[in-house]
Amino acid sequence: MTETWALAALWLGLALVATLFSIWLRIATALSEIVVGTVAQLFIGASIGAALLQTDASWIKFLSGTGAIVLTFLAGAELDPAVFRVKWKEASAVGLVGFSAPFLGCAALAYYVLHWNLQASWLAGVALSTTSVAVVYAVMLEFGLNKTDYGKTVLAACFINDLVTVLALGLLFAPFTFKTLLFVVGSVAAFAVLPWLTPRFFKRYGGRPSELEAKYLLFCLFGLGALAGWSGSEAVLPAYVIGMVLAGTVGKDHALIRRLRTLTFGLLTPFYFIRAGSLVSVPALVGAPMVFLILLAGKMAAKFVGVYPVTKLYKSPPKEAMYTTMLMSTGLTFGTISSLYGLSHGIIDQTEYSFLVAAVIGSAVVPTLIANAFFLPRHLLPRDPEIPAGPALAPQASESKP
Amino acid sequence: MTSKILLAYDGSEPADKAYGFALDMAKHYGAKLLVLAVARPPDLPEDVETEAILENAEAHYQELFALMRKRAEVQGLSPDFRVVVGHPAEQIIYHAEKEGVDHIVLGHRGKSFFERWRLGSVSKQVINYAHCAVTVVR
Repeated sequence: MTETWALAALWLGLALVATLFSIWLRIATALSEIVVGTVAQLFIGASIGAALLQTDASWIKFLSGTGAIVLTFLAGAELDPAVFRVKWKEASAVGLVGFSAPFLGCAALAYYVLHWNLQASWLAGVALSTTSVAVVYAVMLEFGLNKTDYGKTVLAACFINDLVTVLALGLLFAPFTFKTLLFVVGSVAAFAVLPWLTPRFFKRYGGRPSELEAKYLLFCLFGLGALAGWSGSEAVLPAYVIGMVLAGTVGKDHALIRRLRTLTFGLLTPFYFIRAGSLVSVPALVGAPMVFLILLAGKMAAKFVGVYPVTKLYKSPPKEAMYTTMLMSTGLTFGTISSLYGLSHGIIDQTEYSFLVAAVIGSAVVPTLIANAFFLPRHLLPRDPEIPAGPALAPQASESKP
Repeated sequence: MTSKILLAYDGSEPADKAYGFALDMAKHYGAKLLVLAVARPPDLPEDVETEAILENAEAHYQELFALMRKRAEVQGLSPDFRVVVGHPAEQIIYHAEKEGVDHIVLGHRGKSFFERWRLGSVSKQVINYAHCAVTVVR
Protein backbone atom coordinates (compact mmCIF):
# COMPACT_ATOMS: atom_id res chain seq x y z
CA MET A 1 0.00 0.00 0.00
CA THR A 2 2.97 2.36 0.42
CA GLU A 3 2.88 3.34 -3.23
CA THR A 4 -0.87 4.01 -3.08
CA TRP A 5 -0.53 6.24 0.01
CA ALA A 6 2.33 8.13 -1.62
CA LEU A 7 0.32 8.62 -4.79
CA ALA A 8 -2.74 9.74 -2.79
CA ALA A 9 -0.52 12.22 -0.91
CA LEU A 10 0.78 13.57 -4.23
CA TRP A 11 -2.75 14.08 -5.60
CA LEU A 12 -4.07 15.70 -2.44
CA GLY A 13 -0.92 17.84 -2.25
CA LEU A 14 -1.75 19.10 -5.73
CA ALA A 15 -5.37 19.65 -4.62
CA LEU A 16 -4.11 21.68 -1.66
CA VAL A 17 -1.93 23.84 -3.91
CA ALA A 18 -4.89 24.35 -6.27
CA THR A 19 -7.13 25.35 -3.36
CA LEU A 20 -4.58 27.89 -2.11
CA PHE A 21 -4.36 29.39 -5.60
CA SER A 22 -8.15 29.57 -5.76
CA ILE A 23 -8.20 31.45 -2.44
CA TRP A 24 -5.43 33.86 -3.43
CA LEU A 25 -6.86 34.54 -6.88
CA ARG A 26 -10.54 34.35 -5.83
CA ILE A 27 -11.36 31.85 -8.55
CA ALA A 28 -13.36 28.60 -8.43
CA THR A 29 -11.37 25.69 -7.00
CA ALA A 30 -12.53 23.48 -9.88
CA LEU A 31 -10.86 25.79 -12.39
CA SER A 32 -7.70 25.97 -10.31
CA GLU A 33 -7.58 22.16 -10.00
CA ILE A 34 -7.86 21.65 -13.77
CA VAL A 35 -5.03 24.09 -14.42
CA VAL A 36 -2.86 22.59 -11.65
CA GLY A 37 -3.50 19.12 -13.13
CA THR A 38 -2.42 20.27 -16.58
CA VAL A 39 0.69 22.06 -15.31
CA ALA A 40 1.63 19.20 -12.96
CA GLN A 41 1.37 16.63 -15.74
CA LEU A 42 3.40 18.87 -18.02
CA PHE A 43 6.24 19.43 -15.56
CA ILE A 44 6.19 16.08 -13.79
CA GLY A 45 5.92 14.39 -17.17
CA ALA A 46 8.89 16.34 -18.53
CA SER A 47 11.13 16.05 -15.48
CA ILE A 48 10.28 12.75 -13.77
CA GLY A 49 8.07 10.71 -16.08
CA ALA A 50 4.55 10.90 -17.44
CA ALA A 51 3.44 7.83 -15.47
CA LEU A 52 4.07 9.35 -12.02
CA LEU A 53 0.52 10.70 -11.61
CA GLN A 54 -0.92 7.34 -12.74
CA THR A 55 -4.12 8.91 -14.06
CA ASP A 56 -5.30 5.50 -15.26
CA ALA A 57 -4.93 3.72 -11.89
CA SER A 58 -8.29 2.09 -11.18
CA TRP A 59 -8.76 3.71 -7.75
CA ILE A 60 -8.02 7.17 -9.15
CA LYS A 61 -10.54 6.59 -11.95
CA PHE A 62 -13.07 5.43 -9.33
CA LEU A 63 -12.64 8.50 -7.12
CA SER A 64 -12.66 10.75 -10.17
CA GLY A 65 -15.81 9.13 -11.59
CA THR A 66 -17.55 9.28 -8.21
CA GLY A 67 -16.64 12.97 -8.02
CA ALA A 68 -18.34 13.61 -11.36
CA ILE A 69 -21.44 11.66 -10.33
CA VAL A 70 -21.89 13.30 -6.91
CA LEU A 71 -21.12 16.75 -8.30
CA THR A 72 -23.76 16.24 -10.99
CA PHE A 73 -26.24 15.04 -8.36
CA LEU A 74 -25.59 18.18 -6.27
CA ALA A 75 -26.04 20.36 -9.38
CA GLY A 76 -29.42 18.71 -10.01
CA ALA A 77 -30.43 19.12 -6.36
CA GLU A 78 -30.05 22.93 -6.68
CA LEU A 79 -33.34 23.00 -8.57
CA ASP A 80 -36.11 24.99 -6.92
CA PRO A 81 -39.20 22.85 -7.68
CA ALA A 82 -41.62 25.65 -6.77
CA VAL A 83 -40.06 28.03 -9.31
CA PHE A 84 -39.83 25.26 -11.86
CA ARG A 85 -43.50 24.34 -11.56
CA VAL A 86 -44.57 27.92 -12.17
CA LYS A 87 -42.21 28.67 -15.04
CA TRP A 88 -41.63 25.36 -16.76
CA LYS A 89 -43.23 26.31 -20.10
CA GLU A 90 -41.25 29.50 -20.66
CA ALA A 91 -38.15 27.94 -19.12
CA SER A 92 -38.35 24.93 -21.43
CA ALA A 93 -38.45 27.19 -24.49
CA VAL A 94 -35.56 29.35 -23.26
CA GLY A 95 -33.53 26.37 -22.03
CA LEU A 96 -33.96 24.47 -25.29
CA VAL A 97 -32.80 27.50 -27.28
CA GLY A 98 -29.92 28.01 -24.81
CA PHE A 99 -28.88 24.41 -25.44
CA SER A 100 -29.55 23.97 -29.13
CA ALA A 101 -27.90 27.18 -30.38
CA PRO A 102 -24.41 26.31 -29.03
CA PHE A 103 -24.97 22.57 -29.55
CA LEU A 104 -25.74 22.89 -33.25
CA GLY A 105 -23.43 25.85 -33.78
CA CYS A 106 -20.37 24.27 -32.18
CA ALA A 107 -21.04 20.87 -33.73
CA ALA A 108 -21.25 22.51 -37.16
CA LEU A 109 -18.09 24.47 -36.46
CA ALA A 110 -16.21 21.31 -35.44
CA TYR A 111 -17.48 19.36 -38.46
CA TYR A 112 -17.26 21.91 -41.25
CA VAL A 113 -14.44 24.19 -40.11
CA LEU A 114 -12.21 21.93 -38.01
CA HIS A 115 -13.05 18.79 -40.02
CA TRP A 116 -13.58 16.56 -36.97
CA ASN A 117 -15.54 13.37 -37.59
CA LEU A 118 -19.31 13.38 -37.04
CA GLN A 119 -19.31 11.74 -33.58
CA ALA A 120 -16.52 14.02 -32.32
CA SER A 121 -18.39 17.05 -33.67
CA TRP A 122 -21.60 16.09 -31.85
CA LEU A 123 -19.58 15.65 -28.66
CA ALA A 124 -18.03 19.09 -29.14
CA GLY A 125 -21.57 20.45 -29.45
CA VAL A 126 -22.63 18.77 -26.20
CA ALA A 127 -19.50 19.86 -24.26
CA LEU A 128 -19.92 23.49 -25.33
CA SER A 129 -23.69 23.74 -24.87
CA THR A 130 -23.67 23.76 -21.06
CA THR A 131 -24.46 26.54 -18.64
CA SER A 132 -24.02 26.98 -14.91
CA VAL A 133 -27.11 27.29 -12.73
CA ALA A 134 -25.43 28.51 -9.53
CA VAL A 135 -23.36 31.13 -11.37
CA VAL A 136 -26.50 32.58 -12.95
CA TYR A 137 -28.29 32.29 -9.59
CA ALA A 138 -25.55 34.41 -7.98
CA VAL A 139 -26.01 37.03 -10.70
CA MET A 140 -29.76 37.05 -10.14
CA LEU A 141 -29.25 37.49 -6.38
CA GLU A 142 -26.80 40.30 -7.04
CA PHE A 143 -29.40 42.20 -9.06
CA GLY A 144 -32.26 41.16 -6.79
CA LEU A 145 -33.86 39.49 -9.84
CA ASN A 146 -34.24 36.04 -8.32
CA LYS A 147 -37.80 36.82 -7.25
CA THR A 148 -38.88 38.38 -10.55
CA ASP A 149 -40.52 36.54 -13.47
CA TYR A 150 -37.42 37.15 -15.53
CA GLY A 151 -35.04 35.78 -12.90
CA LYS A 152 -37.17 32.69 -12.23
CA THR A 153 -37.50 31.95 -15.94
CA VAL A 154 -33.77 32.28 -16.61
CA LEU A 155 -32.90 30.10 -13.60
CA ALA A 156 -35.36 27.37 -14.55
CA ALA A 157 -34.10 27.62 -18.14
CA CYS A 158 -30.56 26.90 -16.93
CA PHE A 159 -31.83 23.61 -15.48
CA ILE A 160 -33.54 22.68 -18.74
CA ASN A 161 -30.35 23.58 -20.62
CA ASP A 162 -28.23 21.30 -18.41
CA LEU A 163 -30.87 18.56 -18.38
CA VAL A 164 -30.89 18.49 -22.18
CA THR A 165 -27.08 18.47 -22.12
CA VAL A 166 -26.92 15.36 -19.90
CA LEU A 167 -29.74 13.74 -21.89
CA ALA A 168 -27.78 14.38 -25.08
CA LEU A 169 -24.60 13.03 -23.51
CA GLY A 170 -26.39 9.99 -22.12
CA LEU A 171 -28.43 9.11 -25.18
CA LEU A 172 -26.70 10.58 -28.27
CA PHE A 173 -23.85 8.08 -28.15
CA ALA A 174 -25.84 5.19 -26.68
CA PRO A 175 -26.04 2.10 -28.94
CA PHE A 176 -29.87 1.91 -28.59
CA THR A 177 -30.12 -1.79 -27.97
CA PHE A 178 -32.36 -3.81 -25.64
CA LYS A 179 -30.04 -2.71 -22.81
CA THR A 180 -30.81 0.94 -23.55
CA LEU A 181 -34.51 0.19 -23.26
CA LEU A 182 -33.97 -1.52 -19.90
CA PHE A 183 -31.92 1.45 -18.71
CA VAL A 184 -34.64 3.91 -19.72
CA VAL A 185 -37.42 1.83 -18.12
CA GLY A 186 -35.38 1.21 -14.93
CA SER A 187 -34.43 4.88 -14.64
CA VAL A 188 -37.95 6.18 -15.18
CA ALA A 189 -39.23 3.74 -12.52
CA ALA A 190 -36.53 4.89 -10.10
CA PHE A 191 -37.22 8.58 -10.79
CA ALA A 192 -40.90 7.97 -10.05
CA VAL A 193 -40.33 6.00 -6.83
CA LEU A 194 -37.41 7.93 -5.27
CA PRO A 195 -39.25 11.19 -4.44
CA TRP A 196 -41.90 9.14 -2.61
CA LEU A 197 -39.61 6.61 -0.95
CA THR A 198 -36.63 8.79 0.07
CA PRO A 199 -38.27 11.21 2.54
CA ARG A 200 -40.16 8.37 4.22
CA PHE A 201 -37.02 6.23 4.48
CA PHE A 202 -34.99 9.14 5.89
CA LYS A 203 -37.76 10.05 8.33
CA ARG A 204 -37.81 6.53 9.73
CA TYR A 205 -34.10 5.67 9.79
CA GLY A 206 -32.19 8.90 9.17
CA GLY A 207 -30.67 11.56 11.41
CA ARG A 208 -28.16 9.19 13.07
CA PRO A 209 -24.37 9.35 13.22
CA SER A 210 -24.20 6.30 10.91
CA GLU A 211 -24.87 8.66 7.95
CA LEU A 212 -27.53 6.42 6.46
CA GLU A 213 -28.61 9.21 4.10
CA ALA A 214 -25.21 9.46 2.39
CA LYS A 215 -24.99 5.67 1.99
CA TYR A 216 -28.52 5.52 0.56
CA LEU A 217 -27.86 8.30 -1.95
CA LEU A 218 -24.53 6.80 -3.03
CA PHE A 219 -26.25 3.43 -3.41
CA CYS A 220 -28.86 4.98 -5.73
CA LEU A 221 -26.24 6.92 -7.70
CA PHE A 222 -23.91 3.93 -8.13
CA GLY A 223 -26.80 1.56 -8.89
CA LEU A 224 -28.31 3.68 -11.64
CA GLY A 225 -24.80 4.67 -12.78
CA ALA A 226 -23.97 0.98 -13.24
CA LEU A 227 -27.19 0.47 -15.19
CA ALA A 228 -26.32 3.46 -17.38
CA GLY A 229 -22.76 2.21 -17.98
CA TRP A 230 -24.01 -1.32 -18.73
CA SER A 231 -26.39 0.02 -21.36
CA GLY A 232 -23.66 2.10 -22.99
CA SER A 233 -24.93 5.40 -21.58
CA GLU A 234 -23.32 7.75 -19.04
CA ALA A 235 -23.64 7.65 -15.22
CA VAL A 236 -24.05 11.42 -14.86
CA LEU A 237 -27.41 11.26 -16.68
CA PRO A 238 -29.30 9.43 -13.89
CA ALA A 239 -27.26 11.35 -11.28
CA TYR A 240 -28.52 14.72 -12.53
CA VAL A 241 -32.12 13.55 -12.77
CA ILE A 242 -31.97 11.94 -9.29
CA GLY A 243 -30.72 15.31 -8.02
CA MET A 244 -33.65 17.06 -9.73
CA VAL A 245 -36.36 14.68 -8.50
CA LEU A 246 -34.98 14.82 -4.95
CA ALA A 247 -34.45 18.60 -4.98
CA GLY A 248 -37.71 19.19 -3.14
CA THR A 249 -36.82 16.75 -0.34
CA VAL A 250 -33.09 15.95 -0.03
CA GLY A 251 -32.16 19.28 -1.64
CA LYS A 252 -33.93 21.13 1.18
CA ASP A 253 -31.94 19.28 3.86
CA HIS A 254 -29.09 21.79 4.06
CA ALA A 255 -27.18 19.83 6.69
CA LEU A 256 -27.12 16.73 4.48
CA ILE A 257 -26.15 18.72 1.38
CA ARG A 258 -23.33 20.34 3.37
CA ARG A 259 -22.03 16.93 4.46
CA LEU A 260 -22.16 15.68 0.88
CA ARG A 261 -20.27 18.77 -0.24
CA THR A 262 -17.55 18.07 2.34
CA LEU A 263 -17.12 14.59 0.90
CA THR A 264 -17.26 15.91 -2.66
CA PHE A 265 -14.96 18.93 -2.42
CA GLY A 266 -12.66 17.42 0.19
CA LEU A 267 -11.90 14.13 -1.54
CA LEU A 268 -13.73 13.39 -4.78
CA THR A 269 -13.70 16.41 -7.08
CA PRO A 270 -9.95 17.11 -6.66
CA PHE A 271 -9.34 13.72 -8.27
CA TYR A 272 -11.90 14.45 -10.95
CA PHE A 273 -10.73 17.94 -11.94
CA ILE A 274 -6.98 17.29 -11.56
CA ARG A 275 -7.34 14.15 -13.68
CA ALA A 276 -9.37 16.08 -16.27
CA GLY A 277 -6.60 18.70 -16.37
CA SER A 278 -3.75 16.19 -16.47
CA LEU A 279 -5.15 14.61 -19.65
CA VAL A 280 -4.87 17.93 -21.51
CA SER A 281 -1.97 18.00 -23.94
CA VAL A 282 -0.29 21.41 -23.76
CA PRO A 283 1.88 20.74 -26.84
CA ALA A 284 -1.30 20.07 -28.86
CA LEU A 285 -2.80 23.37 -27.68
CA VAL A 286 0.35 25.34 -28.38
CA GLY A 287 0.65 23.67 -31.79
CA ALA A 288 -2.77 24.87 -32.98
CA PRO A 289 -4.11 27.67 -30.77
CA MET A 290 -6.61 28.77 -33.42
CA VAL A 291 -8.66 25.60 -32.92
CA PHE A 292 -9.22 26.48 -29.27
CA LEU A 293 -10.07 30.07 -30.16
CA ILE A 294 -12.55 28.99 -32.85
CA LEU A 295 -14.36 26.67 -30.42
CA LEU A 296 -14.44 29.31 -27.69
CA ALA A 297 -15.67 32.04 -30.04
CA GLY A 298 -18.24 29.59 -31.40
CA LYS A 299 -19.65 28.84 -27.96
CA MET A 300 -19.81 32.49 -26.92
CA ALA A 301 -21.39 33.61 -30.20
CA ALA A 302 -23.95 30.78 -30.15
CA LYS A 303 -24.89 31.47 -26.51
CA PHE A 304 -25.28 35.13 -27.40
CA VAL A 305 -27.61 34.26 -30.28
CA GLY A 306 -29.60 31.88 -28.08
CA VAL A 307 -29.84 33.78 -24.79
CA TYR A 308 -29.56 37.54 -25.46
CA PRO A 309 -32.87 37.84 -27.40
CA VAL A 310 -34.65 36.14 -24.48
CA THR A 311 -33.28 38.65 -22.00
CA LYS A 312 -34.44 41.44 -24.30
CA LEU A 313 -37.85 39.78 -24.63
CA TYR A 314 -38.20 40.27 -20.87
CA LYS A 315 -37.12 43.90 -21.31
CA SER A 316 -33.96 43.47 -19.26
CA PRO A 317 -31.79 46.62 -19.42
CA PRO A 318 -28.97 46.22 -22.03
CA LYS A 319 -26.04 45.89 -19.61
CA GLU A 320 -27.81 43.49 -17.27
CA ALA A 321 -28.97 41.48 -20.27
CA MET A 322 -25.42 41.26 -21.57
CA TYR A 323 -24.05 40.40 -18.12
CA THR A 324 -26.57 37.56 -17.76
CA THR A 325 -25.84 36.31 -21.28
CA MET A 326 -22.11 36.31 -20.64
CA LEU A 327 -22.40 34.39 -17.39
CA MET A 328 -24.77 31.86 -18.96
CA SER A 329 -21.83 30.93 -21.21
CA THR A 330 -19.90 29.41 -18.30
CA GLY A 331 -20.20 25.69 -17.64
CA LEU A 332 -17.08 23.99 -16.38
CA THR A 333 -18.63 20.94 -14.70
CA PHE A 334 -20.70 19.52 -17.54
CA GLY A 335 -18.21 20.73 -20.15
CA THR A 336 -15.37 18.71 -18.65
CA ILE A 337 -17.64 15.72 -17.89
CA SER A 338 -18.72 15.60 -21.54
CA SER A 339 -15.17 15.96 -22.81
CA LEU A 340 -13.84 13.25 -20.49
CA TYR A 341 -16.71 10.97 -21.51
CA GLY A 342 -15.72 11.48 -25.15
CA LEU A 343 -12.07 10.71 -24.44
CA SER A 344 -12.73 7.63 -22.31
CA HIS A 345 -15.20 6.20 -24.87
CA GLY A 346 -12.90 6.83 -27.85
CA ILE A 347 -15.27 9.40 -29.42
CA ILE A 348 -12.54 12.04 -29.43
CA ASP A 349 -8.73 11.72 -29.27
CA GLN A 350 -6.44 13.43 -26.77
CA THR A 351 -5.79 16.39 -29.07
CA GLU A 352 -9.51 17.05 -29.58
CA TYR A 353 -10.06 16.55 -25.83
CA SER A 354 -7.37 19.16 -25.10
CA PHE A 355 -9.02 21.69 -27.41
CA LEU A 356 -12.44 21.05 -25.90
CA VAL A 357 -11.28 21.34 -22.27
CA ALA A 358 -9.33 24.50 -23.11
CA ALA A 359 -12.45 25.95 -24.75
CA VAL A 360 -14.57 24.95 -21.73
CA ILE A 361 -12.06 26.63 -19.39
CA GLY A 362 -11.96 29.64 -21.69
CA SER A 363 -15.76 29.77 -21.60
CA ALA A 364 -15.58 29.99 -17.80
CA VAL A 365 -12.86 32.66 -17.80
CA VAL A 366 -13.31 34.91 -20.83
CA PRO A 367 -17.06 35.72 -20.57
CA THR A 368 -16.70 36.39 -16.84
CA LEU A 369 -13.77 38.74 -17.38
CA ILE A 370 -15.56 40.57 -20.21
CA ALA A 371 -18.80 40.71 -18.19
CA ASN A 372 -17.04 42.13 -15.12
CA ALA A 373 -14.92 44.57 -17.12
CA PHE A 374 -17.54 46.00 -19.45
CA PHE A 375 -21.05 44.91 -18.59
CA LEU A 376 -21.27 44.91 -14.81
CA PRO A 377 -24.35 47.05 -14.24
CA ARG A 378 -23.01 50.33 -13.00
CA HIS A 379 -26.32 51.50 -11.58
CA LEU A 380 -24.91 50.15 -8.34
CA LEU A 381 -22.13 52.73 -8.67
CA PRO A 382 -24.10 55.87 -9.39
CA ARG A 383 -21.41 58.54 -9.54
CA ASP A 384 -18.28 59.05 -11.57
CA PRO A 385 -15.48 59.30 -8.98
CA GLU A 386 -13.31 61.34 -11.33
CA ILE A 387 -15.75 64.26 -11.32
CA PRO A 388 -14.74 66.57 -8.50
CA ALA A 389 -17.81 66.97 -6.35
CA GLY A 390 -18.81 70.28 -4.86
CA PRO A 391 -19.18 70.66 -1.09
CA ALA A 392 -22.86 69.81 -1.22
CA LEU A 393 -22.21 66.61 -3.18
CA ALA A 394 -18.90 65.53 -1.75
CA PRO A 395 -19.11 62.52 0.51
CA GLN A 396 -17.65 63.28 3.89
CA ALA A 397 -14.97 60.73 4.59
CA SER A 398 -13.42 60.43 7.98
CA GLU A 399 -11.26 57.89 9.72
CA SER A 400 -11.87 57.18 13.37
CA LYS A 401 -9.94 55.25 15.97
CA PRO A 402 -12.26 54.11 18.73
CA MET B 1 -28.85 64.98 11.72
CA THR B 2 -28.04 61.31 11.29
CA SER B 3 -31.17 59.16 11.14
CA LYS B 4 -30.01 55.99 9.42
CA ILE B 5 -26.58 54.35 9.55
CA LEU B 6 -25.31 51.49 7.42
CA LEU B 7 -22.53 49.33 8.84
CA ALA B 8 -20.69 47.29 6.24
CA TYR B 9 -19.71 44.11 8.04
CA ASP B 10 -17.36 41.34 6.91
CA GLY B 11 -16.76 39.46 10.18
CA SER B 12 -13.22 40.79 10.61
CA GLU B 13 -11.75 42.40 13.72
CA PRO B 14 -11.81 45.92 12.19
CA ALA B 15 -15.48 45.31 11.26
CA ASP B 16 -16.19 44.44 14.89
CA LYS B 17 -14.58 47.72 15.97
CA ALA B 18 -16.66 49.50 13.35
CA TYR B 19 -19.77 47.83 14.77
CA GLY B 20 -18.98 49.20 18.24
CA PHE B 21 -18.51 52.65 16.69
CA ALA B 22 -21.77 52.36 14.75
CA LEU B 23 -23.68 51.28 17.88
CA ASP B 24 -22.36 54.29 19.80
CA MET B 25 -23.26 56.55 16.92
CA ALA B 26 -26.76 55.08 16.54
CA LYS B 27 -27.37 55.50 20.26
CA HIS B 28 -26.03 59.03 20.28
CA TYR B 29 -28.18 60.19 17.35
CA GLY B 30 -31.15 57.90 18.02
CA ALA B 31 -30.58 56.56 14.51
CA LYS B 32 -31.63 53.29 12.90
CA LEU B 33 -28.78 50.88 12.16
CA LEU B 34 -28.59 48.57 9.18
CA VAL B 35 -25.82 45.93 9.31
CA LEU B 36 -25.00 44.71 5.82
CA ALA B 37 -22.79 41.71 5.06
CA VAL B 38 -21.90 40.88 1.46
CA ALA B 39 -21.40 37.28 0.32
CA ARG B 40 -19.06 37.46 -2.64
CA PRO B 41 -19.06 34.68 -5.24
CA PRO B 42 -15.65 33.79 -6.76
CA ASP B 43 -14.60 36.13 -9.56
CA LEU B 44 -14.34 33.12 -11.87
CA PRO B 45 -17.19 31.03 -10.52
CA GLU B 46 -18.25 27.41 -10.90
CA ASP B 47 -21.59 25.76 -10.42
CA VAL B 48 -22.04 23.76 -7.20
CA GLU B 49 -19.12 25.51 -5.54
CA THR B 50 -20.72 28.94 -5.97
CA GLU B 51 -23.93 27.68 -4.37
CA ALA B 52 -21.87 26.24 -1.50
CA ILE B 53 -19.95 29.50 -0.98
CA LEU B 54 -23.13 31.58 -0.85
CA GLU B 55 -24.86 29.24 1.59
CA ASN B 56 -21.75 28.98 3.72
CA ALA B 57 -21.43 32.78 3.87
CA GLU B 58 -25.12 33.16 4.79
CA ALA B 59 -24.81 30.60 7.62
CA HIS B 60 -21.53 32.16 8.83
CA TYR B 61 -22.98 35.68 8.96
CA GLN B 62 -26.21 34.56 10.63
CA GLU B 63 -24.14 33.03 13.46
CA LEU B 64 -22.21 36.26 13.86
CA PHE B 65 -25.41 38.32 13.67
CA ALA B 66 -26.90 36.36 16.60
CA LEU B 67 -23.99 37.49 18.81
CA MET B 68 -24.10 41.03 17.45
CA ARG B 69 -27.83 41.25 18.11
CA LYS B 70 -27.23 40.46 21.80
CA ARG B 71 -24.49 43.10 21.96
CA ALA B 72 -26.88 45.69 20.53
CA GLU B 73 -29.71 44.72 22.88
CA VAL B 74 -27.47 45.53 25.85
CA GLN B 75 -27.39 49.11 24.55
CA GLY B 76 -31.13 49.12 23.91
CA LEU B 77 -30.76 48.96 20.12
CA SER B 78 -32.23 46.58 17.57
CA PRO B 79 -30.34 46.83 14.28
CA ASP B 80 -31.58 45.33 11.02
CA PHE B 81 -29.19 42.57 9.84
CA ARG B 82 -28.93 41.53 6.18
CA VAL B 83 -26.76 39.35 3.94
CA VAL B 84 -26.67 40.26 0.26
CA VAL B 85 -24.74 38.81 -2.70
CA GLY B 86 -22.34 40.59 -5.03
CA HIS B 87 -19.33 42.88 -5.14
CA PRO B 88 -18.91 44.48 -1.68
CA ALA B 89 -18.44 48.15 -2.62
CA GLU B 90 -21.28 48.12 -5.14
CA GLN B 91 -23.69 46.41 -2.80
CA ILE B 92 -22.83 48.76 0.08
CA ILE B 93 -23.38 51.83 -2.08
CA TYR B 94 -26.51 50.43 -3.72
CA HIS B 95 -28.17 49.55 -0.42
CA ALA B 96 -27.10 52.81 1.20
CA GLU B 97 -28.91 54.76 -1.55
CA LYS B 98 -31.89 52.42 -1.65
CA GLU B 99 -32.42 52.62 2.12
CA GLY B 100 -31.87 56.37 2.33
CA VAL B 101 -28.87 55.95 4.62
CA ASP B 102 -27.08 59.12 5.61
CA HIS B 103 -23.92 57.64 7.10
CA ILE B 104 -21.89 54.57 6.12
CA VAL B 105 -19.48 53.02 8.65
CA LEU B 106 -16.94 50.38 7.73
CA GLY B 107 -13.77 48.90 9.13
CA HIS B 108 -10.33 49.43 7.65
CA ARG B 109 -8.72 46.22 6.46
CA GLY B 110 -4.96 46.09 6.05
CA LYS B 111 -4.72 44.06 2.88
CA SER B 112 -1.50 42.74 1.38
CA PHE B 113 -0.20 44.32 -1.81
CA PHE B 114 -1.41 41.30 -3.75
CA GLU B 115 -4.96 41.54 -2.38
CA ARG B 116 -5.10 45.28 -3.06
CA TRP B 117 -3.92 44.69 -6.61
CA ARG B 118 -6.50 41.95 -7.19
CA LEU B 119 -9.48 43.33 -5.32
CA GLY B 120 -8.87 47.01 -4.76
CA SER B 121 -9.88 48.61 -1.51
CA VAL B 122 -13.57 48.40 -0.65
CA SER B 123 -13.35 51.39 1.68
CA LYS B 124 -11.69 53.48 -1.04
CA GLN B 125 -14.41 52.59 -3.54
CA VAL B 126 -17.15 53.34 -1.03
CA ILE B 127 -15.61 56.73 -0.19
CA ASN B 128 -15.31 57.53 -3.90
CA TYR B 129 -18.87 56.62 -4.85
CA ALA B 130 -21.04 57.02 -1.74
CA HIS B 131 -23.79 59.64 -1.75
CA CYS B 132 -23.42 60.26 1.98
CA ALA B 133 -20.84 60.59 4.77
CA VAL B 134 -18.47 57.65 5.19
CA THR B 135 -16.49 56.76 8.30
CA VAL B 136 -13.64 54.24 8.07
CA VAL B 137 -12.85 52.91 11.54
CA ARG B 138 -9.27 51.87 12.25
